[in-house]
Formats: sequence, structure tokens, C-alpha cells
Amino acid sequence: MTGEPGTRRRPGWLLAHTVLIYLFFYLPILTIFFFAFDTKPIPGWPIDTLTVRWFGEGLQDPQLLEALWASFWIAIVSATLATVMGIPAAMALAWLPIPGKRLLMGVILGPIIVPPMVLGLGLLLLFRLAPDLLGAIGVVIAHTTLNVCFSTLILYSRLLGFRRSLLEAAMDLGATELRTFREVVLPLAFPAIGAAFLLAFTGSFGEFIVAWFVAGFARTLPIEIWTWLRYILSPKVNAIATLIMVVSITLSTLAQLWIIRQARATARG
Amino acid sequence: MAAAPPPPRPTREIAVTVDRVTKRYGQTVAVDDVSFEVAQGEFVTLLGPSGCGKTTLLRLISGFIEPTAGDIRLHEGSVLGVPPYRRNTSMVFQDYALFPHRTVAQNIGFGLRMRGVPPAAIERRVETMLELLNLSGLGGRRIGAISGGQAQRVALGRALVVEPAVLLLDEPLGALDLKLRKQMQTELKGIQRRVGATFLYVTHDQEEALTMSDRVAVMSRGHIEQLDAPLDVYRRPANPFVADFIGEANLIPGRVAAVAPPLVRVESEHAPAPLTASVAGPEVKPGDPVLIVVRPEDLHVDRTGTRTENAVRGRVRDVVFSGPATKVVVEVGPALSLAALVRPGEAPAADGAAVAVWWAPEDAVVVARAAENPQQSLK
Amino acid sequence: MERPADSFVRRPLAHAAVGLFPLLAWEALFFLLPMAILFVYSFWRMRDFRLEITFTLDNYAEIVTNPFLWKAFVLSLEIAVAGTIVCAVIAYPVAYFIAKRAGHWKTLCLVGVVIPFWTSFILRAYAWKLLLGEQGIINSGLLRLGLIDAPLAGLLYSPVATSIGLVYGFLPFMIMPLYTSIEKVQDSWLQAAADLGASPWRAFREVTFPLCFPGLVVGAVFTFIFAVGEYVIPALLGGGKSLMVAQAIVLEFETQQNWPGGAALAIALLLIILAMLGLLLRWVRMEDVL
Repeated sequence: MTGEPGTRRRPGWLLAHTVLIYLFFYLPILTIFFFAFDTKPIPGWPIDTLTVRWFGEGLQDPQLLEALWASFWIAIVSATLATVMGIPAAMALAWLPIPGKRLLMGVILGPIIVPPMVLGLGLLLLFRLAPDLLGAIGVVIAHTTLNVCFSTLILYSRLLGFRRSLLEAAMDLGATELRTFREVVLPLAFPAIGAAFLLAFTGSFGEFIVAWFVAGFARTLPIEIWTWLRYILSPKVNAIATLIMVVSITLSTLAQLWIIRQARATARG
Repeated sequence: MAAAPPPPRPTREIAVTVDRVTKRYGQTVAVDDVSFEVAQGEFVTLLGPSGCGKTTLLRLISGFIEPTAGDIRLHEGSVLGVPPYRRNTSMVFQDYALFPHRTVAQNIGFGLRMRGVPPAAIERRVETMLELLNLSGLGGRRIGAISGGQAQRVALGRALVVEPAVLLLDEPLGALDLKLRKQMQTELKGIQRRVGATFLYVTHDQEEALTMSDRVAVMSRGHIEQLDAPLDVYRRPANPFVADFIGEANLIPGRVAAVAPPLVRVESEHAPAPLTASVAGPEVKPGDPVLIVVRPEDLHVDRTGTRTENAVRGRVRDVVFSGPATKVVVEVGPALSLAALVRPGEAPAADGAAVAVWWAPEDAVVVARAAENPQQSLK
Repeated sequence: MERPADSFVRRPLAHAAVGLFPLLAWEALFFLLPMAILFVYSFWRMRDFRLEITFTLDNYAEIVTNPFLWKAFVLSLEIAVAGTIVCAVIAYPVAYFIAKRAGHWKTLCLVGVVIPFWTSFILRAYAWKLLLGEQGIINSGLLRLGLIDAPLAGLLYSPVATSIGLVYGFLPFMIMPLYTSIEKVQDSWLQAAADLGASPWRAFREVTFPLCFPGLVVGAVFTFIFAVGEYVIPALLGGGKSLMVAQAIVLEFETQQNWPGGAALAIALLLIILAMLGLLLRWVRMEDVL
């Protein structure tokens, strides 16, 4: 680091710029956070007095709570489905010789390349043929479709570095493929699986546009907020939003740190 | 093509039979019609350069790949189509492949657990193995907390404790430093003898192979060039490849003038009089192109330069001191230099001096060579 | 080892098929099928609020002939391009900083870039509303500081706001591939360049920049792709006057009830995106970036 050609030349502006951008990133988050404590019913500057009353009111609002609960269980189910489908797929992609792997990966990553609205539209049209699927179930399906790409990708990149000799050793000592999966793959890939699950959960929890299309009469929290945003600007929204943000940030930080810890452990082992 | 391998001592049972095994990957032939047997309790090494097929052979026997042709037999008969977890072989991997999320004892006991051995018996056998390997007390350690040498022994123990018909070792000492390696070589051999296990070892390090093995299979490009006891491989190489690959060798080209077993007279452009050497394996007839193989330690330097019997004349090009011996390189022809090892105490020749190098006939061997660009030519 | 790659599992293709089956079956049903339906719909027609099954290219023709739709496409492309360029310019120094100057903080910095991404998009877009509105923070702040007399109306509900929102939302997608590329440029190369007499700026231009070009291209293409099809940001921040494609699609579906029309728009959007991806794959190999 020292002695590098560019060190002496204008070190300041690079750092300043970066700090500014980070501020830029967190500005909206901090805004929501602070306004959640504002006493005024309509958010505006300046903030004179602070209160936590909006949190209480928000948590008692039946519509909000219902939407919160819907978001929650939809996220859990879709994250679970996505992870369960992603694990075997990631193993196959990472370890086995498959013809046309690149094309395959392109197809698998399709749902995230396509604009979410286009996916939402397509699913909406599909569900019109099976109307029972519109609603919460439809959102689960839509989110699973999105999440399974991320899960597969995350697990795939983690499993690429997985030492195959460990699998061979287990099989050599008498473990069948299934047993090897249970004894060697699962325990060692567990942090990555957990991280994939968490990220899928968080993604689903905050996802709006696709959910909006297929939710029918069901409401997830983002949909609820969207409705509120269009018409009513209430601090209750801020409060709930803050709560969600805190939870999301905690979960995704955990997931990120897990992944990083995994990377370090493999480097050693 | 390849000579029939000499059968191992007939009183022992055969642990592994490789019968005309070929492995093809598309156009590439990794293993080409290889046959050999390993007797119970034997230590056989597959030795050869990168890409010679030795590791492929090992993986064929362990069950990770299936042969394109041929058969592989263990005690229970042919194991073609039998997956690795149902074969009675176990492997020591190059990177040890110890399970990082388990302790030393759990690693060693893994195979026993897969076989359904009751926990009490597992504990007992693991403990015995730990003692055998000088690892007593380390059973509870995590894999990350042991040294390289210890890890190597844990890997060995894990493979050994399941009492396989044959233990397969894939260059297990590669990651160790020189001193530790030599130590482990002795230990490995000792353990093998004590337990009476059958070892099939793979390495590219010929010193390692010669030190530890009962028999060595020298491999090149998918073939076994020679399968013999270490001494025989060293002193009586079957062909130029083996001669050159094992140890250092002086190779003097010539043609057979007359054969009078156990000796043979060879005419060479490098010497005025015919040279005498011993006959090794394949038969040679007068007129056959051959190479005389003399090891540097068997080549003597005549500083007067006058000797003519079994001698070749030349000029000293280089004198290299290397601890236990001094190597004298003598240029005897435009394309041929011979190396002789001079023991300490003997005065080496001076650089540039005209000398003769000679050998005793029983110390040199002839091997057949093809007239030009043989398939088994020197690498 | 020269040993050709072999699988440690027998019948690898059979195992692969089993492993991939759930995922592929799901995708076929819930991704490929919906796309196919959308595609088919785009050739149908809506007549008197009834769906008519036929084959017509009118919906696609509409995109070009209808000024409203055409403007939406053009605006989307303009905003996406502008946003991508702004993103690239802003992201590069940040990526460079993290890759080369952050040292021990590198992991933390990276995590810090990604975390906002995982909080709900909607909420952050909403926050921009709070910030940019006439009673919003920025205006209130500027007023109090006496820098302006009247609140700036153009901050919110304008293409400017949309662009800011887009840049905000997609900056991480630009930073990450850039970071990966820049990280691969080893310091020893730069030292060698300096050794050979290159000034720091020259070294940057001749060594660093060309080597991180793949990362730049990947970041730009993905940012563009996400921006061109975005709905939430223009819907919240853009105001009702000029619409982007995604908004036009929603209008066709909801207000006009013109499902085939909306489908055609969606497919057209998809084609643009696929074209961009095709270009990307032609110029850059993924191995250079991942």
C-alpha cells in the first residue's frame, strides 16, 4: 500500500467522494428512521419533538398487521422452496459435467434478468387460467421463482470451491451419495445455505412489483405501503418501515457475515 | 509388448488383480492394457511422471471410474460396476481430505460408522489406531488444530482402521517438507509391515518408491514399463525409459557384437575396443541396437587416461561437488557426456584433463533400443 | 495432474438430471410458460373489451405509431442511458477506493454497499419523496439556510427525480462488477509500470482502466437493463407527465384493459434487454468478471 505510485497524489478526493456516496446510500434510510420518531402527523422538517407513539399505532393497525403477517409467511415459504430447489441444482451445476452449462445458467438466471414487471405480467396471465392461484399463493409462487435464481447462484459459487476430495473420501469409506450429502455437504455448506435462505427471505419480504401483479386481493406489506404512499402519508408507515428496515438490515448483515466467514474457513481448510 | 510381470511369491494370496485394463477418455488413452497383481501384505508402488496413468489406475481400483475394457478383481471377485462405497478398498488422498467439521477420532471412525460397527467397538478400534500412529490423546482435537505430519497420519489411520483388502495411497507425502517426508516414509513402511496391510502407492518420486516398496511398477504413457523389486529396477532396467527415469544413468549407444551369457559384447563408436556388459531382461541378438546402462557410482575414472578395457576416453568437462560425493562429467563424444561419482578421499580429475572412464562388466547392463525415435525413448 | 476431468459420481448425467429437475420444472412452469403466454398474447387483439384470438402485428406497430407509447420507449432509453453513465462515473471512484485503498475495511465497505439493497425498494423510493418534495427536507433545508426564496418544484415529479432514484437504486450493481475487475489489477503491475517511467495517470489509463473494462461493461449493461424496465421509481418520483415504458405497460393493462397491447410492449422491452445481453456476451466473457 505504501510506495504505490498513486499514494501521494490527491488521496483526499477519492476518500471524500466515497464517503459522500455512502452518505447518499444511507440518506433515505436515515430519513425514514428519523421521521418515524417525529411527533408531527405529516412528516416535515424540522423535527421538534420525538415520540414513539407511531410505532404503537402502527403495530395496532389491523391492516398493517395483516399485511405484515402475509409478507412474513410468504417470505418464509418462498425462501424455503427456493433453497430446497436450489441446493440440488447448485450441486449439479458446480460438480457435474453438463453439456451446455452456460446456456443452462442463462435460463436459470432468466427471472432476474427479465424486468420484474414483465414477470409479474406473465404470471398474472398464467394465473388467470387458474384463478385459485391469484392471491397469496400466487405471490409465493412468484417470489419463489425469483428467489430460486439467487439461491442457486449463491450456493453454486460456494459449492464451486468445495473440496471434492472430501466427497470422494466419504464415498470411499462407505457412504452412499445420499449419506455423503448428509454427512459432508450439509454441515459444511450450512452457512451458505443459511445465507441463501436469509437473503431470499429478505428479498421476498421487501419485493413489491411482482407481488402487486399477482396478489389479487391479498396484501403484502410492500403492497400495503404502496397503497398508503399513493394517497396517505402517515407516520405509521414510517414507523413500520423503520421496523422492517432494522430487521432487514440485521438479517442481511448476518447473512453477509456468514458468507464471509465461510469464505475464510474454506481458505484455511 | 510388455513382458509378462514376474509373479509374486506363490505362497501368498492375491489381494488385487488388474487384468488387461484400459481406460480411454475420448481419443486419449490414459491406461493402456495394463495387467498386474498385488499380493496380500505387499507394498507395491506405481511410479512415473505426470500423466503416465498411475493415478488413473488408482482411481479405477478404488471405484471412482470404470475401465473402458478389462477387469479388476478383489477378494470377492470382479468389482466392475461396484461403486466405491461398496468396495473393500480405502484411499489416502493427496490433500488428506480430512473432514474439517469433525474431530480426529470422528474422522478415523468414519468408515467404521458407515459400516454399522457398534459405537463401543468403534471407540476401541479408533483408540488402538491412535496408539499405532503415535497420536494417542489427540482424538478429541479438531482437524484445524493438528500439524501436517499429524494430519497425514490421521488420514492413514482413517483408511487403515476399516481393514481394507488394499490401501490406496495417492502421493500422500507430497505436502510435507523433506525431512518430514523421509521420516514418514520410514513410518509408513513400518506401519505397513506391522499391520500386514496391502499397500498400493502412487508417486512420481523415485527415491520414495525405491525406499519403501517391495515391488515398483514404472509407468509411462499408460503402460507399465517394468514391474520388479527396487533393486532389480535400479540395476537391471528393462528399457531405456526405466534406465533413465530411475536414478541417474549413463547411456552409451552401440550394437551387439556377440552374446555370451551372462555377458554381452557391444561395439560402440565411442570406444575403440568392444565393451562388455551384462545381459538383463529381454534377449538381445548380435546386430541389435542397444544402450549400455552404467550408474555414475559404478563408473570409475582413470586419470592417466590409458585404460582401454571396458573404457571410454574423453575430456573432463565439469567437476561438481555435492556433499557426499563429487560428480565428474566427462565428454566422450560430440553428443555424449558421462557422469562418474568420485568418493571423498579419491582425488578428482582436473578440469579439461584427458581421462578414461571404465566399469566392471557386472555393473553395467544392456537394454534394447529401437534404431530411431523409439516409442519408449528417453524423455 | 494431467488427468482429464472425470466425475466422482457414476452416471453423472443421470445425477445431474435429478438434481436439476425440480428447478427446471419449476422454471418451465412459472417462468418460461408465462413468457410464452405473454408472447402469444401480444399477437392477439382487444376489440370492444373482448379478447379476440387472431394473429396480428398491430400491437407492435402501435409502439411506433402511437406517440405516447413511442415517447415512453424513447424516454426510458434516454433515462436509462443517462442513468447508466452517471452511475458509471460515480461508481468508479468508489469501486477503486474499496479495491485499492480500503485495506482492512474492505469487507465492511462491500457489505455497506450491499445492505441498502436488501431493504425494501419501495421504502427507499418513498424516502426520496420525503427528501425531494416541496415540503421535503432538501427544500426546507435550503429555505432555512436562505439559499433559495421558494421551494424548488422541479426536484420531485420530474425526470430528474427519476434519474436520481435510478442512480440510487442501481449504483450497487455498477460498483460490484467494477470492484471485482479493479481488484484483479495487481499492484505489482502498477509498480512495474511506474518502474518503466509511467506517471500515475498514465499507468491508470494504460494498465488499470483497460483491465477493468469488462467489469465496467457488465455493470453498465446490467444497470441499463434494470433501469429501462423499472416501474416503482418513475411511478413514485416521476410525476404523471412523462412516463417510462413500465408505466405505459401498466396503463395499457389497467386503464385501457388492452392486454395484448400491454403484452406487446412487454415483449418489446424484453427484446431490447435480450439484445443488450447478447451484445454483452459477445464483448465480454463472464470469466473475466465473476
